[in-house]
Amino acid sequence: MQEVLRLQNLQKSFGSVRALKNASLTLKEGEVVALLGDNGAGKSTLIKAISGVFPIDRGDIYVRGEKVSIRSTREAMDLGIETIHQDTSLAPDLSIARNLFLGREPVNLKWLGVFAPLDLAKLRDAASALLKRVGISKKLDADALVSTLSGGERQSIAISRAMQFAAKVIILDEPTNNLGVEETHGVLRFVKEMREAGHSVLLITHNIHHVFEVADRIIVMRRGEIVAEQTVADTDLLTVESLITGADLSALMKRAQ
Amino acid sequence: MRSPQFSSFVILVVLLVVFAVADGNFLSPLNISNMMAFLPELGIIALGMTLLLTAGEFDLSVGAVFGLAPVVVMLLVQNAGVDIGVALLAGLLLCIAIGAINGVIVTKIGISSFLVTLSMLLIVRGAALYITQGFPLKSWDQPGFFVTLLAGSFNIGAFRFYTSLWWFIGLSLLAVYVLRYAKLGNWISAIGSNRNAAVARGVPADTVKIWLFIATSVLAGLAGMISAFRISAASPVAGTGYELEVIAMVVVGGTALTGGRGTILGTIVGALMLRAIRNGIVLVGVPGLAYNIFVGVIILAMLILHALLQKNAARN
Ligand SMILES: Nc1ncnc2c1ncn2[C@@H]1O[C@H](COP(=O)(O)OP(=O)(O)O)[C@@H](O)[C@H]1O
Ligand SMILES: [Mg+2]
Repeated sequence: MQEVLRLQNLQKSFGSVRALKNASLTLKEGEVVALLGDNGAGKSTLIKAISGVFPIDRGDIYVRGEKVSIRSTREAMDLGIETIHQDTSLAPDLSIARNLFLGREPVNLKWLGVFAPLDLAKLRDAASALLKRVGISKKLDADALVSTLSGGERQSIAISRAMQFAAKVIILDEPTNNLGVEETHGVLRFVKEMREAGHSVLLITHNIHHVFEVADRIIVMRRGEIVAEQTVADTDLLTVESLITGADLSALMKRAQ
Repeated sequence: MRSPQFSSFVILVVLLVVFAVADGNFLSPLNISNMMAFLPELGIIALGMTLLLTAGEFDLSVGAVFGLAPVVVMLLVQNAGVDIGVALLAGLLLCIAIGAINGVIVTKIGISSFLVTLSMLLIVRGAALYITQGFPLKSWDQPGFFVTLLAGSFNIGAFRFYTSLWWFIGLSLLAVYVLRYAKLGNWISAIGSNRNAAVARGVPADTVKIWLFIATSVLAGLAGMISAFRISAASPVAGTGYELEVIAMVVVGGTALTGGRGTILGTIVGALMLRAIRNGIVLVGVPGLAYNIFVGVIILAMLILHALLQKNAARN
């Protein structure tokens, strides 16, 4: 499988907090990688660096073998990296359609720049088609305001937005937080569909069961460093849990028996 | 129709009917002409303020800029002998600079717009008072291109209108277009609704906000020039308190003070409403010193109405 994204020795500090110390990882085509770690391990910082939310202090990023510098969220999107951030990435006062195309609005009279009129018909049609394609259970109206949607519906909208631009890399930061059982299954189904469609997915989650359900590979972070990397087939729940906490749980279990 | 601008519109109609019934002169050509002369001056500022509020910021320095711009222009003309056109250009650049400073400090240093523009209010008002030594200036009263452009007047039947009304209508149409139909309007609403989400989609939130601060300042300066030309005087205290009156117009129209939800039509209704109230309560004989009690009560009633409608909509 071809390598899509490679991070080499990324470093990022916030004042005296070293949120990332020499983080390196590789993501291949059509692969779901789970990024695990306790709160404060640096997961969100890592993905914010890849998605252009803030610049990294040191390190290199390669997209399909080519070295890139990502200085803004726009540049990350143009490189085919779509991110669904932990802190919801939708504007509640805008309609579903307007959210789906936020920052990439279809317009007429393009030469008018930011004053160009939105192509409202195209906006609505494309949004409806997309909502149908991703098969969101309840029928959603493209003109409905996002503030009227449930948490799961919002997450689905954010995910379909990432899919629509045929992103090569889709990053999900704790996408199943605060979701109900059914909504959670919807999100996991999305992840599988994306892999089948050839996208690469970087999934951040606290739920290890989800990891074993959808991921191919596991990367564990602790205090800003990547401390382990394993294929799902070669590991088990206890091992992963002990890697996350840093305590040797399996040894403890054996002693207890 | 539960939209806030619609309920404001209904209240406006009710108010107009009440005033018309209470005093036959309310709808007289002279009184309507009077209201239409004042309306654009605050209304033009309110358009800029609506866009700014929708993006989640506001500007308390507009009343002071309304006062300073004409004072600077007139000082340049009268004391420095500068050509009126050049002086107006200087006034425009001054307004752009004030707006840019507001915007850059708010977005790049991250101080709330309340504090930044409150300080700017003091600086700008102080500057106007200092450079005039507190005395009003006689304004440019020679007829000419610029006076006609900003404060010319014309009669339609028994009505007398000022060109400022065209400015207000034209700018209103532009603002409606920008906020509802242009790409920029989508960005403005998104920034006010969830700034991080907008930034994550590549929307240049800081740049948009800085330009909105500039636009608001320029509109305040334009309104100040219109007013100064109309009454042929430039006073350093002109526009005192306008910032709050303008914000009242905007929120009475249904724009959310917290950003994300803005309506230009609502603002036009709000501007008409406050103008009609100020004018109507004089006619119906409310004592002068009691005006603000009425204005305050009506604004509060409108806001309560909007809040109740919002709650209702959320429940359904
Ligand atoms: N914007 C920020 N400013 C200062 N410190 C931050 C910021 N973002 C994250 N941090 C710190 O960096 C560390 C890693 O945080 P984060 O990446 O959010 O962890 P995770 O997502 O794994 O829970 C934490 O100590 C956190 O407090
Ligand atoms: Mg996090």
